[in-house]
Amino acid sequence: MNPGGPLYQLHNVVHCYNDTRALSIDRMAIPAGSVTGLIGPNGSGKSTLLKLLAFAFNPTEGEIRFRGRMAYPFSREVRSRVTLLTQEPYLLKRNVFDNIAYGLKVRKDTDRLVERVEKALATVGLPYQEFAFRKWHELSGGETQRAAMAARLILEPEVLLLDEPTASVDVESAKLIRDASLAARELFGTTLVISSHDWHWLYEICDNLLHLFKGMIFDSGMENILSGPWEKQGDKLYAKNIGQKEKIFVSAPPEGKSYALIPENSLSIIPMDAETTTSHFDNRLEGIITRMILQKSSMEIIASIMISDLFFTVRLSGETVRSLSLAPGVRVVIRFQKDSVKWL
Amino acid sequence: MDFLLSGFIKALHLLLNRDPSTWTAVAATLKVSTGSILASLAAGLPLGFVLGYFDFRGRRFIRTCVDTLLALPTVFIGLVVYAVITSRGPLGEYGLLFTLSGIAIGQIILALPIVVALTASTVENMDSRLRLTLVSLGAGKKDLLLTCLWEVRYGLLAAAVTAYGRVMTEVGISMMVGGNIKWHTRTITTAIALETGKGMFANGIALGLVLITIAFAVNMSVSFLRRK
Ligand SMILES: Nc1ncnc2c1ncn2[C@@H]1O[C@H](COP(=O)(O)OP(=O)(O)OP(=O)(O)O)[C@@H](O)[C@H]1O
Ligand SMILES: [Mg+2]
Repeated sequence: MNPGGPLYQLHNVVHCYNDTRALSIDRMAIPAGSVTGLIGPNGSGKSTLLKLLAFAFNPTEGEIRFRGRMAYPFSREVRSRVTLLTQEPYLLKRNVFDNIAYGLKVRKDTDRLVERVEKALATVGLPYQEFAFRKWHELSGGETQRAAMAARLILEPEVLLLDEPTASVDVESAKLIRDASLAARELFGTTLVISSHDWHWLYEICDNLLHLFKGMIFDSGMENILSGPWEKQGDKLYAKNIGQKEKIFVSAPPEGKSYALIPENSLSIIPMDAETTTSHFDNRLEGIITRMILQKSSMEIIASIMISDLFFTVRLSGETVRSLSLAPGVRVVIRFQKDSVKWL
Repeated sequence: MDFLLSGFIKALHLLLNRDPSTWTAVAATLKVSTGSILASLAAGLPLGFVLGYFDFRGRRFIRTCVDTLLALPTVFIGLVVYAVITSRGPLGEYGLLFTLSGIAIGQIILALPIVVALTASTVENMDSRLRLTLVSLGAGKKDLLLTCLWEVRYGLLAAAVTAYGRVMTEVGISMMVGGNIKWHTRTITTAIALETGKGMFANGIALGLVLITIAFAVNMSVSFLRRK
């Protein structure tokens, strides 16, 4: 499964809803056969981007190319190679079988239909006997999500776009959905684009992680974004309260901007008991490592650190992890200078 | 009150003995109202879909016009159709005046705005995720239209039943355009009007019973379809 040339190319794409800009991407490419993750806070434009990639509507400005060709006006042929699992899945008002078979029926591809529906349902852990003839309203939220996923998988799509596919399902269903996405890639060479708040999953499987913030794309290093309010502490010194007593100090936010980005490369991490001096850092935060995961694409280790009610993400080399004996459960100190904070 | 009760008993008699003049009126009503409702649906469903689904310039204005047409009095429609199909009118040569076809034209004018307006608002209120889902499953234009209509089938069924009820029970158009000719263009409603005028309550009640029974049967089958 070698990622090939670019499948999608976006150039100066802007999308607005009623004159408000929701997305603005200068350049972006998605290689064929790759797994791309979209990370970003609510309202950052993840769903909008996925809908554009699904050719659900035209961007307000700019061009989207699919396999090098202009993708719109969208030919049905192009659209039928791409499928999107929407954020809140919708089942047609018919039974589960007909929902799953719908995409094949509109493609007039109905050989061995029953067998294929059965297989698609099994992939997402819904036994055919029990579920195929239930009506659309006779499923739980998680079952609906999985049935909707089966309706996409049966198409053996060239591109599978998943909009928070595991947001509303339990651990077991989430695993089924995650496995099914990767199986599609293995079996059909499907290119995956996934938006999810399950960072760990994305770090683990993605060849390419894109961070969206206020409709703009950043490659990496966008993990640690802090929102206001920022309280004035003194001349050019502001702070955000976290937890009971800790504060994060920053210099004055520029007019109208309240999101602070703490770039990853400006963070230093050290186990609490190895700390010798506590001076000359504006910010010194105590926390605990909750999770560490290997990012396959870079072979780096992504550590999540809980500080009161906040999570920080730090990217570490295997060497650092070994020399500092870092592991989940280890108490650590994170330090950074207030002037390294960038404002978004 | 006695005359009501005796009228009712006599009415049952008339119906059970298959009184021919009663039953021809019933047949005429069924024929003309079913014909006009089918024509209204054939034209009204696609028009209503377009009006409810697409956002184009002038759409609001058209919606307002259609909503206004909902309030058209049947006597006015009767008058206009009469004027158009009378022998001196623009369509005079077709000899539609005092025929069931003439009545049907008026009833289509009555039913079409109902079908269009109710279809449009049903389609307008359609779940916004539906279109996205269909597009993402690869539906073409025709699948989109048909599947959307099928998704809101209950709303459309309600529209059809409302329009059918209105058409079947109207008097103005049938009276003015049809002329209430016995054995020919006399419908249930015009017959009731006539019988009552003549003091023949039994016949009137008999016809009224038939009308109610038809309405009941229609609604029963609709609720049966809903449950399915
Ligand atoms: N149909 C719409 N009409 C108007 N504004 C919209 C519409 N859809 C999205 N928006 C706006 O566009 C911006 C991006 O929305 P989008 O749904 O792409 O965000 P998201 O990253 O998917 O968020 P979430 O994590 O909450 O799903 C938001 O500010 C949102 O309010
Ligand atoms: Mg979203």
